[in-house]
Amino acid sequence: MNSRAIQTLWTLMRRELWESPGAFKWTPIVILGLTLFFIVFGMILGSRFDNEMAFTLDAIRQFADVPADQKRLFVTGALFSVSTLFFQILILVLLFYLSSCLYDERKDRSILFWKSLPVSDTMTVASKVLTACLLAPALYLAAVIVTQVVVLLIASVYGLMAGINPLTEFWLPASLPKLWLVMALGLIIQGLWLLPIYAWLVFCSSWAPRVPILVAVAVPAVIALLQHAWSLLSSFSMPQLNVGMIILKRLGSGILPSNVGWQVESNGNNVDLSDVQFSEELFMSFSNSLEFLLRPGMWIGIGIALALLAGSIWFRRRATDT
Amino acid sequence: MSLTIRARNLKRYYGSNRAVDGIDLEVPSGRIVGLIGPNGAGKTTALKAILGLTGFDGELEVLGQKPNKDRDELMEDVCFIADVAVLPRWARVWQVIELTERLHPRFSRERCMHYLKNTKVKPNTKVKALSKGMVVQLHLALVMAIDAKLLVLDEPTLGLDILFRKRFYSNLLNEYFDEDRTILITTHQVEEVEHILTDLLFIKDGKLVLNATMDAVHERYREVMVKPDHVEEARAMNPIHERILFGRHIFLFDGGDIGRLKEIGELHRPSVADLFVALMGEEYENHADTEEAA
Repeated sequence: MNSRAIQTLWTLMRRELWESPGAFKWTPIVILGLTLFFIVFGMILGSRFDNEMAFTLDAIRQFADVPADQKRLFVTGALFSVSTLFFQILILVLLFYLSSCLYDERKDRSILFWKSLPVSDTMTVASKVLTACLLAPALYLAAVIVTQVVVLLIASVYGLMAGINPLTEFWLPASLPKLWLVMALGLIIQGLWLLPIYAWLVFCSSWAPRVPILVAVAVPAVIALLQHAWSLLSSFSMPQLNVGMIILKRLGSGILPSNVGWQVESNGNNVDLSDVQFSEELFMSFSNSLEFLLRPGMWIGIGIALALLAGSIWFRRRATDT
Repeated sequence: MSLTIRARNLKRYYGSNRAVDGIDLEVPSGRIVGLIGPNGAGKTTALKAILGLTGFDGELEVLGQKPNKDRDELMEDVCFIADVAVLPRWARVWQVIELTERLHPRFSRERCMHYLKNTKVKPNTKVKALSKGMVVQLHLALVMAIDAKLLVLDEPTLGLDILFRKRFYSNLLNEYFDEDRTILITTHQVEEVEHILTDLLFIKDGKLVLNATMDAVHERYREVMVKPDHVEEARAMNPIHERILFGRHIFLFDGGDIGRLKEIGELHRPSVADLFVALMGEEYENHADTEEAA
């Protein structure tokens, strides 16, 4: 890649932000606002029942006395839970964004304008995928970071009122740089893990005559139903490998914090949580994310994704306004 | 002289519909070519093939490149307005300009702003809030600010008022066109472009029925307003078309003896529109008859 290709790619990704400010700019800002609103609202409500905040301040003082590892578990766990809503909505936003990304330009005929520019179809498709896998997660992560800092600032005010040192009791146990790096890595790996689903949506949007998201859902749903019907008829059993279940499982296991260290194999009967150790290592670990890279399913998925993206580029090359 | 467009036996079939059916074409640089044809004659398909927007059979080279394979590289030297209102409606004017500047190495922001200076197009307006005429002004400003070798205009002035159409073509001619560039135009408003064209292409049923320079057209086709007592004589001279205007018979001849033609009536240059009707219209009338009969 030369510098011009990188500049083109970056410009195309900025275009995606300009085209969908609601999805990438306003949604994280609104979640940020709502999260902080509910935290502040909760505290105001709490102070009504808690005379002169004696109970709250007492709890904070007690918290300062717990062992360091539990302190870390509590603080990072709280900060992680602040992030989940952002990342769950991010996935939802991306599903809609990707399923229309190559469809809208055909519908409003602006494809004729984009194709009048010296930009290859590969570059165009790449910009959509990279927006979904890197740029959008980065923006949501930024909103998460702002939220977490504000939450810590609020906690610090309470800590000062309780007479403890917020720096040593809240900020240091939060180990923010590591927390953010873990989340960033988790988001990148999640992008790779969900790439086959993302690519499927891009593929559908590249050729579907209308409502691509419906097509994208209906095709695997119908295949899954046929599979069910077939295996029930032929062997009176549920199918071993079902397309619908594979996709749903992947979506389910992809949602952050996916890097929580216990992968519950839900084969229906034995859910074993007995050996789960509740420590900060549950989520504050790089290896939990990197472990995904060792799964064959990851690489099979990436292979499928590349094939689907090649198909999308093929359709984009032939697409015009008609 | 280098060729801008070179086509040999260019074909594009949609099932049994032969949209483009074996076109041979050579367009050198420095020309303004009008591609004229009735609806569904294959104009847009031919343009799309030239712009790399559709596949085709046969040979086609545009500026020495294969449009179906190297569209993105070709677009550094080719610009097109493929119809009005294809600018992204969600974008603001400054965003469209910035995107074009960053994505097109030959785009000059200064030139673009120069063309927009005298219009009502404001940078912060959204494209969807612009009137149709303003969208075309913006698109034309973008395209004219690109230092391209071939400009393709497909019905560029559709739905615009007469003032704007006049200004559009005078801008194009005075501020953009030079001998290194080629402009290819399709339009139904033939009268408006015929004075700026250097070459004329008529297309019908996917085939070129006329491919000549304007000079050659004026040399070859003659329109004669025949005196009433010479009508029979004129008919005997194999005119390609006859029409009656205010009781006077007007004949169109392909070639013919100038001296004799002058004797039987007043000699004129046929307009492109009349030539179009003469070369295309009659068969269409016949065609309509057979369709009715069937």
